[in-house]
Formats: sequence, structure tokens, C-alpha cells
Amino acid sequence: MAATPPRSLTELFFGFLSIGARSFGGVLPWAHRVMVEERRWLEPADFAETIGLCQFLPGPNVGNASIVLGKRWFGVKGALVAFLGLMALPFCWVLALGILYADFVDVPLVKAIVTGVGAAGAGLFIGTAIKLGRTLVRQPVALVLVAACFIAVAIARVSLVYVMPIGLALALFAARKQWL
Amino acid sequence: MALILLEIALYFGLLSLLAFGGMPAVMPEMQRIVVEVKGWTGPVEFVQLFAVAQAAPGPNVLIASLIGYRAAGFAGALVATAAVCAPAALISYWVSDVWDRFKESAWRKAIQKAIAPIVVALVLSGGYVIATPGGTPDWRLWLIAAISAAGVLATRLNPLWMIGVGAATGAILLS
Repeated sequence: MAATPPRSLTELFFGFLSIGARSFGGVLPWAHRVMVEERRWLEPADFAETIGLCQFLPGPNVGNASIVLGKRWFGVKGALVAFLGLMALPFCWVLALGILYADFVDVPLVKAIVTGVGAAGAGLFIGTAIKLGRTLVRQPVALVLVAACFIAVAIARVSLVYVMPIGLALALFAARKQWL
Repeated sequence: MALILLEIALYFGLLSLLAFGGMPAVMPEMQRIVVEVKGWTGPVEFVQLFAVAQAAPGPNVLIASLIGYRAAGFAGALVATAAVCAPAALISYWVSDVWDRFKESAWRKAIQKAIAPIVVALVLSGGYVIATPGGTPDWRLWLIAAISAAGVLATRLNPLWMIGVGAATGAILLS
């Protein structure tokens, strides 16, 4: 079955609302689930390409994706509607949770649960990265780039101000040489 | 009050423009500004707000909402959230057009291929950094992260299950 874009602003709004409402531990897996698997607005390759563009841009990835996709489907109105749909519930949630947490900050069990949830969210990121990276497995140059970038950012904690332009320049060079 | 709102807008707007690869990339800079330069939160409180933003649904820019709230109440939360999103949103809005126009260009295809490994590395780094707070490995956090990564890869379960398992495992291992 081919993917079909949302037919109305209402559908767009509620789609992004459902991404925001359920996106515990990271939005990316939920964006994939709602737009590719549940509502079939996008083909998987199209989704990966859009997320790829948005991760290259500064700012929140899925927030940017809501702008890009909303605009592609409905122009300025679509961009605003998708973005507000995505952010509305999480904004209220996080403030409520922050106010609540301030009251229970000294309870060790609460702290342990919050930390566990954070680590599980990190695991969702890692799983998603591996899913996105599956297509790169047969490309040794791409794997070297992934490893180098990971070591620079995650282990050596080099600022992205340096890693991004250098990594991208090397990757572009490799792509032009048909190594990727 | 107006001054602090202006400061929030400027600093978080700057972070928005620096956030290549998303929010995890600018957490060190955000910590520096919020804790060391402006003193809007203490160092420990900053880490707690980060954890709460992680635990809540939604994009992890929402840590900006929490810091804004702590610095200047509800108006601060609104301003910080808008500031951390708006510059990036405007760039996305403009760039996506250019991006579509060059659909068949060899350069666009090269850029797309070039971005893929960088994106994979940055998402992976985000996960690693969150699961390794302060850069000190803790096998309990890594175990929880590994379980939820395996869940994403091996099953089509709702990711909320992985979060639930993380909460339960955290309650047992970390308290």
C-alpha cells in the first residue's frame, strides 16, 4: 500500500499530537511509528531522508521535521499546526512533572525511577541509531566515519562546532569518490 | 523581569542555532550558560531538570521549558521554549524548499549519502552520553539502555514498554 499524506490540517494536528503525547524517552521512535507504521503518511525511505535532513539542521530534530513536513503538505499553516501539535502536550506534561518532581526530589526511589527512565530513553536512541545504520553495514568507509564521529562526540566530547564541518567534509569527499 | 526574559530569549536562541544533531549536542553549553554564567539553577538542580525532561514525553528541548520556568516562571518557560525552537524552525522552513528544488542534483545526492553516517553517529552519541552521565560508565544504566535498545531492535513492542522496564529496573538497581 502506497503512503498517502494527511488529507486535512485536523488530521495533521492530531497525528503530531499523538506523536507528542506518547513520545516518552525520545520522539524519533514515535515519529517513525505514527507517520510510517500507523498512519502511513510517508514511505520508510522518505522518513529516513527527512529525518536525515533535520538532523543535519540545528535544533530539535523532530520539531524541525514537523516544520518541514507540515510545510510540504500544507504550507505555512501546516508547519505551524504540525509544530504546535507536536509541542502542546509535552510542554504541559514537562511543566507539571517538573513541579511535581520538585516536591519528591529527596525520595531515593523517585530519583532511581527517573534515572532508570532516562537510561531507557538513551537505549531507544541507540536502538534507533542501529536501525538507521543497518543500510551502512556493507560500506566500510561509512562505518569508519560513524566510529570516528562517535569517538569524537561521545568519548572525547569534542564540540560539534568542530566535528560537524570536518565530519561532513570528509563524508562529502567520500561520497563524491563513490565510497559511500 | 523583562530583562531576564530577554536574556532567556537570547541565550536559548543561540543554543538553537548551535544544536546541530539536536539537543544532546548542546547540553554542555547549556549547562555552562545556565549554571555558571547566569546561575539560574545550581549544578545538581540542572541535572535533575535534565532527568525530568528525559522522563517526560516530547522533544528533549523541553529541558529549556523547565529552566525557563525555574528562572522566570510560566512566562520564562514559554519564552525559553519558543527561543530554543524558533531559529531552527525558520532555518528548516527555508532550507527544506531549497532541498526539494535540488532533488535531482548530484550534489544533493552526495550530501544525503554523506549525512547518513554522521546522523547515525550523532544519534548513537546522544544515547551514549545520556546513559553515561558525567562520562563515568555505570553498568546498571548501560544494562537498562541495552535492554531498551534490544527491545527496539528485536520487537515491535510499543516503546513505552521499554520505558516501563527502565523505570522498574531503575527502582530495583538504583535505589
